[in-house]
Amino acid sequence: MQHPVFQNTKAIIIYFGIWIILAGIQFIILYFQYHFPIEIAMADSLVFNLLFAVICLPVWFVVRYTTPTSKNRFNVVFNHITSLVLIIVIWFGGGYSILSLMFQDQTVYNDFLSISIPVRLISGLLLYILVGLTFYLLIYNYNLQEKLKMEARLNTLLKETELNMLKSQINPHFLFNSLNSISSLTVSNPEKARDMVIKLSDFLRYSVSSGADSMTPLSIEFENIKRYLEIEKIRFGEKLVYELQVGDNCLDQQIPVMLLQPLYENAVKHGVYESTNQVRIETECRVEPGYTEINIVNDFDPDAIPRIGAGVGLNNISERLRLTYLRNDLLKTWKDGNRFYVRLRIPE
Amino acid sequence: MTKEDKYNVLIIDDEPPARLIIRDYLKEYPSLEIAGEFSDGFSGLKAIQELKPDLIFLDIQMPKLTGFELLDLLDDPPLIIFSTAFDQFAIKAFEMNAIDYLLKPYSRDRFAKAVEKALNGLGSGNRETKSVKRILDAIDEQPDLLARIAVKIRHKVHVIPVQDIRYIEADGDYVTIHTEKDKFLKEKTMKYFETHLDPARFIRIHRSTIINIDFMDKLEYYDKESYAVLMKDGASLRASTSGYKVLKEALKL
Repeated sequence: MQHPVFQNTKAIIIYFGIWIILAGIQFIILYFQYHFPIEIAMADSLVFNLLFAVICLPVWFVVRYTTPTSKNRFNVVFNHITSLVLIIVIWFGGGYSILSLMFQDQTVYNDFLSISIPVRLISGLLLYILVGLTFYLLIYNYNLQEKLKMEARLNTLLKETELNMLKSQINPHFLFNSLNSISSLTVSNPEKARDMVIKLSDFLRYSVSSGADSMTPLSIEFENIKRYLEIEKIRFGEKLVYELQVGDNCLDQQIPVMLLQPLYENAVKHGVYESTNQVRIETECRVEPGYTEINIVNDFDPDAIPRIGAGVGLNNISERLRLTYLRNDLLKTWKDGNRFYVRLRIPE
Repeated sequence: MTKEDKYNVLIIDDEPPARLIIRDYLKEYPSLEIAGEFSDGFSGLKAIQELKPDLIFLDIQMPKLTGFELLDLLDDPPLIIFSTAFDQFAIKAFEMNAIDYLLKPYSRDRFAKAVEKALNGLGSGNRETKSVKRILDAIDEQPDLLARIAVKIRHKVHVIPVQDIRYIEADGDYVTIHTEKDKFLKEKTMKYFETHLDPARFIRIHRSTIINIDFMDKLEYYDKESYAVLMKDGASLRASTSGYKVLKEALKL
């Protein structure tokens, strides 16, 4: 942060304006209270105040580079005392010399100068404290603004990440192929086309509206899975068969939103996309003491060679489970012949 | 092209609705006769060899063989109209060539344009294999790593997972891919395999040799200029000085 007084001409005008006002107050006191001649009252108030205004400018650097922490408290106090003594000596010494030289022959005023020494020193101390505190306040405000800006930036960044995450969850291949199916159905079966548009819209709405870290009941999550599988079924026809066996007592269990979807996407991708035979996706969900268990089994073609990048979806789920439940034993997958098994346990 | 000309068309796509819409759009073209519909790369390839179609509507993502892999295996490819949902390769390839392609979902007008282009090509007898080749070349430029390689021996297609490859040797215009059980000839350049196989595992040790370090046994001093790489299956392969350097780096010697 640069010196607040020299940030722009406006700041300079305000700064010296304040000092002119202080000088004005002093002038009023000297002129009306003490009945000094106008030139003396004016010279006294201007010299002392403007001199202080200029001399106390470097206090900024003392303030800027000695932010008090628990460790350097002594250091900070020492620095300020040093700069205070220096400033007072220069200021008062300078002001006193100038004024006593200017008005050598005004004995009344010279007496007044001597008498007012303690008052002036105290006012110098107070002014120093005032200026120092103002600088501290400005720095505090500046840091606060920076922090707020940083937080806002961080927030947008987080939202972007979240959005990207959701975007990556909706596979563009799936989306465009589904739209192509709809386009085809408008010819052969308009009723079914409308049905699919609604299913796809509901699916997308569910994907987009949910935040990345919110929870949802299994009933809602399974509804979405059903929609997804129905859409895929329209694309692939008899090649895809699915079965959902979900116990009624499972339905209220809360799980991270869109957690299951990638598992089914995987099953479709590695099962249906890569196989020429019929692929069955079976789901069974039941409540066990302490947890809810979801088992998903799908057929796949063991001869199909997986594309690079397989397994990313599963890793994401593991990571989300770990972050939500602080456990890494909740997701288990294994292969047996041409069947792929996923076992997911959701702690109560 | 005369009105009596009939052309055979194949539709190869793994999604029934996607085939249906092509069939429906094709109703307007009596000169194009659908000779068959297939839902995976293998049966599609077989059909192409048997039926010798003039035009193929080809999906890219399919079971067994992708549309690109299939096209790569054809010696004398017919006219191809790709129909794909969204594929970065395809988009890039097609942008460079602007030949027949359809991005799903597509309109009747867009389909008509592609078919007109195909009909022009068929009428003039000028099969634009060149542009098809250019698509494949454009794909070759993509530094995307291969997970599998499709090869054809006579009429049989083999799909080799890259981790099964032991080494690859240059052989004229071809390369020989060595696996545990077999050797496969493929019409591709060494450069292609050098750029498309995982560089952490596949090292070009010589102008005419790429090895899979997983199947490497020993490294021996051969003569002043070169080293010999002994493979676990007993094969001995020469490594050039520069190849040896790359190999040493890969093995972190």
